[in-house]
Amino acid sequence: MNPENLLFAKTHEWVHVEDSDGAKIATVGLSAFAIEALTDLVFVDLPEVGRAVTAGEPLGEIESVKAVSDLYSPVSGEVIEANTPLADDLEKLSEDVYGAGWLVKIKIGDEAGLADLMDYATYQKQCEEEA
Amino acid sequence: MAVDEMLLEAAESRGQWSLRFYQWSEPTLSLGYFQSIRELGDRWQHTALVRRSSGGGAIVHDAELTYSLAVPPNSPLARQPLRLYEAVHLGIVACLEEFGIDATLCQSPVAAPRKNQPLLCFQRRSSGDILVGEAKICGSAQRRRRGAVLQHGSIVLRTSPLAPEITGLEEIAKVQVDPLELADALTAELSSRLHLDLKNSRLSVDEADRAELIASQTYRKVAWLQRR
Repeated sequence: MNPENLLFAKTHEWVHVEDSDGAKIATVGLSAFAIEALTDLVFVDLPEVGRAVTAGEPLGEIESVKAVSDLYSPVSGEVIEANTPLADDLEKLSEDVYGAGWLVKIKIGDEAGLADLMDYATYQKQCEEEA
Repeated sequence: MAVDEMLLEAAESRGQWSLRFYQWSEPTLSLGYFQSIRELGDRWQHTALVRRSSGGGAIVHDAELTYSLAVPPNSPLARQPLRLYEAVHLGIVACLEEFGIDATLCQSPVAAPRKNQPLLCFQRRSSGDILVGEAKICGSAQRRRRGAVLQHGSIVLRTSPLAPEITGLEEIAKVQVDPLELADALTAELSSRLHLDLKNSRLSVDEADRAELIASQTYRKVAWLQRR
C-alpha cells in the first residue's frame, strides 16, 4: 500500500479503511517512522480475534532492544484477523511496513475515532517534529 | 516493580521525572516481560520471582543496585530507546570512573538473535551495555507507554552466590562500591547530564497507596508471573 493513501494515529499506527459487505474494515500496522525508532524488533503480542478494541487504547505489545512498547488501536471495533505469523517473522514488519507487515484487521464499530486520524502529510509533520 | 510502574504513570500523566535507587529485601530473579517462565527450569525454584513490565533477559537482584528512571513524553530522550540507554549509561560510566573503575559501553551490533538467548540478562550482550573488561556490569531495559518511558537497570556490585557465572565490580575491578555512595554519585551525575532538578524524597502516601494497588492488581498475581 502507498503510505500517502493511509491514515495515521498520533501513536504511529497506520490505518487503511475499506468497505466490505457494508462494513468498514480497518487494516492496521505500525508506521515506518516508529519501526525505525524502535530498531530491532524481537517480540510482538497481538490481540485475539473477537476482542473488542477502543480507539486510543492498547491493542498489543512489541519488544525491541529490551524496550516493550504498547501498540494502540487507532479505531474502535472488533478484531477480525490478526497477523499472527508475524511473531515468527518480524523482519516482515520492517521489510514491508505497509503491506505484509500489517498487524490486525478491525471491523469498525464506531466511526467517531476516524476523525482523529491524520493524513500522510500531517503525520509526516508530526514525525519531523519528533525526530 | 509496582513503584516503578507508578513512577511511569506519573511521568505519563503529570510530566514528572523520577530517578529511584533500590535494593531488594530478598534475592529475587526478575523476568523480562516477554520471557517464558518455562525457561527457568529447576535452578530457580527456590528463588523469589517477579515479572517486569520491561523487556530483556532475567536479572538476579542480589549484591547489585537497581535504578529506575521515569521520563515524561515531552523529553527528546523519550523518543528513541537507544538514545536514553546511551545517555544514562554514559552517566554511569562517568560515575564509575570516580570510583576508580574503567568502564566502557559495549559496541556490539544492535541486532541480537531472538532465539536461544541466555536466560540471564548479564550473559547477553547488547550495544550500549556497560562493560568492565569483558564483564557486563550494567544492563537496562525499558517500558514505553504513551510517549513516556520507564528505564530500569541493574549494576552488579559483586558476584551473587545465586549466579556465580556473573562477575561484579568487586571481582573485576577489585573495588568495593558502597550502594548508597554509588546512588548519591549517580544522582549528581545524571542530574547534571540530563539537566534535571531532582529533589530527594520518599514516596508520598498517595504514591505508596497507588503502588500498593498496582502490586496487588498485577505484580503479586500468579497470573502475571505465569502469563508466558
